[in-house]
Order: sequence, then structure tokens, then C-alpha cells
Amino acid sequence: MFFDIFRAIEATGLSVWIRESDSWFSFWMILSVHAIGMGLLVGASVLIGLRILGLAPDLPLFPLNRFYRFIWAGFWIQVASGLLLLIAYPTKSLTNPLFYAKLTLIGLAMVTMQMLRKRVFADASLNEATMMARGRVLIIWALVFWVAAVTAGRLLAYTYTVLTA
Amino acid sequence: MTLVHIHLLLNHWPIIGAFIGLGLFLIALATNSDHLKQASLGFFTFLALLAIPTYMSGDVANEVLKTNTPPLPKELIATHQGAAMLGLVFMEITGLAALIGLWQFSRMSRPAPGPVARWNSVAVLVLSIVTAGLMVSVGNTGGAIHHPEILSGQDTGSTVGAIGSKIVPSVSYFVTESSRWIWPILETLHFLGLILIVAAIGGLNLRLLGFVKELPVAPLHRLLPWGIAGFILNIVTGILFFVGMPFFYAWNPIFYMKMGAIVIAGTILLLFNCTASFRAWAQLGSGEDPPKLARYVAAASLFLWFAIIVLGRYLPLTQESLR
Repeated sequence: MFFDIFRAIEATGLSVWIRESDSWFSFWMILSVHAIGMGLLVGASVLIGLRILGLAPDLPLFPLNRFYRFIWAGFWIQVASGLLLLIAYPTKSLTNPLFYAKLTLIGLAMVTMQMLRKRVFADASLNEATMMARGRVLIIWALVFWVAAVTAGRLLAYTYTVLTA
Repeated sequence: MTLVHIHLLLNHWPIIGAFIGLGLFLIALATNSDHLKQASLGFFTFLALLAIPTYMSGDVANEVLKTNTPPLPKELIATHQGAAMLGLVFMEITGLAALIGLWQFSRMSRPAPGPVARWNSVAVLVLSIVTAGLMVSVGNTGGAIHHPEILSGQDTGSTVGAIGSKIVPSVSYFVTESSRWIWPILETLHFLGLILIVAAIGGLNLRLLGFVKELPVAPLHRLLPWGIAGFILNIVTGILFFVGMPFFYAWNPIFYMKMGAIVIAGTILLLFNCTASFRAWAQLGSGEDPPKLARYVAAASLFLWFAIIVLGRYLPLTQESLR
């Protein structure tokens, strides 16, 4: 039954175009956008993380909340490009348990980053020592989730069992 | 111009450059000139970048020479490749040591020649002498392939080449055949390196472009070594990918575009962010506008790094089977 749905998705014009077109703007373009989105999303998280972990103590901490823009821009780029990749290869992704692990890890990382934002950046009157102390455990977890999510995503290319239905 | 020309275009530079760099560095040490020292350290780091496409483009020349009539002795090419591999490894290590020395000049409050600076000069000196020595072998073994007049009788041997020619196949075996997980793990590390580059190099350039102006530049610059660490991680994993599957990259024009962009982006990073030329920009405080030059350099830098990501993702385009 699931495979009927996968087959129906794979038969749509959009899916066929992304998967099989020789155009420079189909599969590889979407994959490039997905890589750039990852850079923005995780890169901005890492930048905030390095500061909270105390690696550039002279850098004012509070203005770093502006990097949440890049996190959210990156996140929605990933949702859009990820959906297109999923439409191209629904069977390949949805039959691989690692795919669900990746989505879960991304979810956990985003929730942790939002908790960090509430606890550290919501109150401009906090001093930096307090902000760092409050954020420390959260950012360590967020970075662990991000590294795990990137690893899971990268391994998807090597662990799938069925390519198309 | 074909891909074969790329090796001819590049291959004399790292050899001659190693000696020019060494000469400059010796004069800098003798005259205790900070400017000359930065120039030679920067030059070594640039050579380390340039040596990467030089080594890689050699594989195309190798493939073409295999079809030569009469066929060239295989040992000549294997020996040259081995010497080149050792030369590349030592050139990269020399470049890294030089970059560490250079980095101190970009900091606003550089301590007067401290213990790190002294240790670094000795390391760069020793490494660059070894590298220059290896480059002699690289040049000699390479010359032997197409200038038989320099061969004296049956003596085609090169100890350096013989050692190196054992390294190439064993690294290749490690990357592609020792375990099916090595390649995916290297890919994952390559992506994590990309993230560090975007975080630290991207973050600094974004500020120099005039965004997030609340942030003073100097402390952001202190995070740059994390981006450079990502860059080094990606150079190491990238060389391993190439040694593992040279045929996949050596014939791919997109690959050479990516290498070209890396050399240019790396050189911009080196010259504008890792020398004393950065000190003026490092003084930009919270809310201050960057000068025009800083904006142009930052824009070019950001464009190139994102182009490198895109070119990397387009690499398999000409390899339909891997899709």
C-alpha cells in the first residue's frame, strides 16, 4: 500500500523531472541549495555555540541573536529543498530508518536552539556570564544533535535499500 | 587548451617556488624583517594551495601518456607520482606551519618575538628545506618522463620516488577498499569542515560586508582559526578522495573550476585576513561601517565559498552512473 503511494509520487511530472532531467537546474541544483541551507542553518548555530562555550570572550553575546535569522532562513531552505528531494526519491528515503532518525535529530536540534533562544537571548538585561552559564548545556546538546543529523544525512546516500518503487 | 595543459601550466611553480620561498625566508631571518617574513610565510601557504591542483592534474597527463607509442616505462611515471605525493604532503605541512606563523601578524596586539614565533621560524625553516629537497626529486623524476636526455644510462631510480610510489596505492586502498564505511565517514567530515568554514569565515565576512554591525571585528576574527581548521580538514579529506578515485575527478572540468575557486578563496583569506594587512579592519568596533575595500573583499570571498559548495555538489554531474 505504501509502495502504491510511492509509485504514484514517482510517476508525477515533478518527480520525474527532478530525478531524470539532464537540466542543470534539476537534481544537482536542488542538492546544492540543500548543502547551502545546511551551511547557513548549522553554521549559524556553530557560531553562536563557539561564543557561548567561551571561545571568543570579547565578542558581545547578545547581538548574536541576530544569527537566528540565518538559522530560520536555512531551516526553511532545507524544508523546501528537502521536500523536492523527497518527491524525487520517496521510496529511497522513506524505506530507510536512518531517514527518520535524521528528521528526529533535526527536530531535536531546532527545539534545543529555540529553548536556548528563550533562556539566553530573550532577556537583554542578563549579564554575559549568566547567559553563558544558562546556555552551556543546551548548546552542547544542540551541537551534538547537529553533528548527528549531518552524519545521518550524509549516510543516507550509502544505506538505502530500495531506490524507486 | 585541454585538461592536459593544466599540469604543464602548474607543475613548475611549486618546485621553483619552494626555492624562492626558502631564499626569501632566509633573508627575512637574517635581516629580521617582519615584512619579508610575512611575505615568505604567505608565499609558502600560497604554494601549499597551488600544489594541490598541480598534483591532481598530473593524473590526466598520466592517463594520456599510457596511450603513448612506444609506451613509456611505467616505473618512470609511478616514480614521479610517488615523489610528487611526498612533495605534496611536505608542502602542505610547510604551508600549515607557515600559516600558524603568519597568523600572529594579523592579531592587533602581537607580542614581540615570543617563544611561539621562535619555535615557528625553526619549524618553517626545517620543513621548507625538506620540501625544497623533495621538490628536486619531483622535478627530476617528472623531467625524466619527457626529457630522456637527462637520464644517465639505466639509472632511473629515485629513492624518494620509490618510497612515495608505495604510499599512493596503500592510501588509495585505505580510502576505497579497506572498509565500505571509510568513504562515507570522510564525506561526513568534509561536510562538517564545510560547516566550520561557513560559521567562522562566513561570519567574519558577513560582518566585513556590513551586516551584524553590532559585532566588533577583532573578536570575530579570533574565531577564524575554527574556519581555517575546517578548511584544513577539507583539504585533507579532499586529497584522500582524490587519491582514492582519481579517475572520477581528474577528467572533470567542474573539478578544476572548484580547485581554482579554492586557490583564489584561500589566497584572499590568507592575504586579507591572516597578515598585518588585517589590523586596520580589526579596529572596526561595534556599529562602525567597514571601508569599501573590506566590503569588496568580503563579497568576493562569500561568493567564492558558496560557489565552491555548489561546484562540489555538481561534481557527479558528468558521472551519470553514480546518480
